[in-house]
Amino acid sequence: MVLVDIRETPSAKAADIFLQIRPGKDFEVLTILRALIKGQAVEAEAVRPTGLTLEQLQDLAQRLKKARFGVLFFGMGLSMTRGKHMNSAAALTLAAELNAFTKFVAMPMRGHGNVTGADVVLRYTTAYPFGVSLSRGYPRFNPGEFSTVDLLVRGDTDATLVVGADPGATMPQPAIEHLRRTPTIVLDPKVTHTSRLAKVHITTAATGISAPGTVYRMDEIPLPLRPILHSPYPTDEHVIRSIRQTIQNRGGGFLPTPDHLQIA
Amino acid sequence: MELSVVQNAVCTFCGCVCDDIELHADGQRIVETKRACILGEAWFKHHTAERLYPAALIDGREASLEEAIACAAEILERADLPLIYGLSNITCEAQREAVWLAETVGAVIDSHTSL
Repeated sequence: MVLVDIRETPSAKAADIFLQIRPGKDFEVLTILRALIKGQAVEAEAVRPTGLTLEQLQDLAQRLKKARFGVLFFGMGLSMTRGKHMNSAAALTLAAELNAFTKFVAMPMRGHGNVTGADVVLRYTTAYPFGVSLSRGYPRFNPGEFSTVDLLVRGDTDATLVVGADPGATMPQPAIEHLRRTPTIVLDPKVTHTSRLAKVHITTAATGISAPGTVYRMDEIPLPLRPILHSPYPTDEHVIRSIRQTIQNRGGGFLPTPDHLQIA
Repeated sequence: MELSVVQNAVCTFCGCVCDDIELHADGQRIVETKRACILGEAWFKHHTAERLYPAALIDGREASLEEAIACAAEILERADLPLIYGLSNITCEAQREAVWLAETVGAVIDSHTSL
């Protein structure tokens, strides 16, 4: 197991090789690895700013190619530093290109229970995994434009429905201020930080403990939940459906229905 | 008190989604977890079947579920660019409903993946 990080974390003890890189140099390291794997010449001088040596990266490149089945796990440190989504794209490209030599996959490390499910559901309904705008009636995908932090910091949105998250506790201050400034609706089993700055809070049953359904494990295996308690609160599924039905029953909604379309 | 045991319960605290947990509950709360890690045990014991919070809040004041749903529907319908965010601690069935709602109101839909 090779661990790459900007500081020696407790995981370093479990690693066979620990490579400490300089902060913000993820993209450079990944790009140099891609060059080395293809046998392209890399100057030692180009490697120096990353905090590693050319020999260390050459060794890593050989190990990656020699693996029979390799997995590249990546965390949020990659997308939260300079380069953001481009860093994730470089990691995914590296894993894809390694398949010219061996079997290799990339897998994001997940903090929350069913983020993977969100990726899967958004993919099979809209073709994109996250940050999908349906504002024109068809799906558009553009991280940086339609990703939540960017939308909120720029103040693009004028209402937010928060389900199964607490951005009021974790997001940058300008994003939180925008949630406070515009009407926010929160669905959560508890009254959260976000609930306190929201216009509407609805208490829902806790997923997996009192709400049944399906969740995806990090490696995209779907698992059925086995709830043990009966909650006095409705499920998120029920509340979200009720909101949509309320809008549709009023004849509201964004998309034109066949009744509204007139063909001359 | 009605005692119940669930075998092979699924823990949704983190992305590992362990599916071999044994849970014991007394109808109100989970009293024992087997094979759960520290984080999983805390997650299971933290959520109870008690009514600890109001059904809904509007502007910080207690409201009924129906009022809150009507208010939420009006906010989302009126908005020019609503955002649906999170989706990480809910079921896939609820996520599908969220996509349908996003399509109905012309929203941006996004999860923790974008962070």
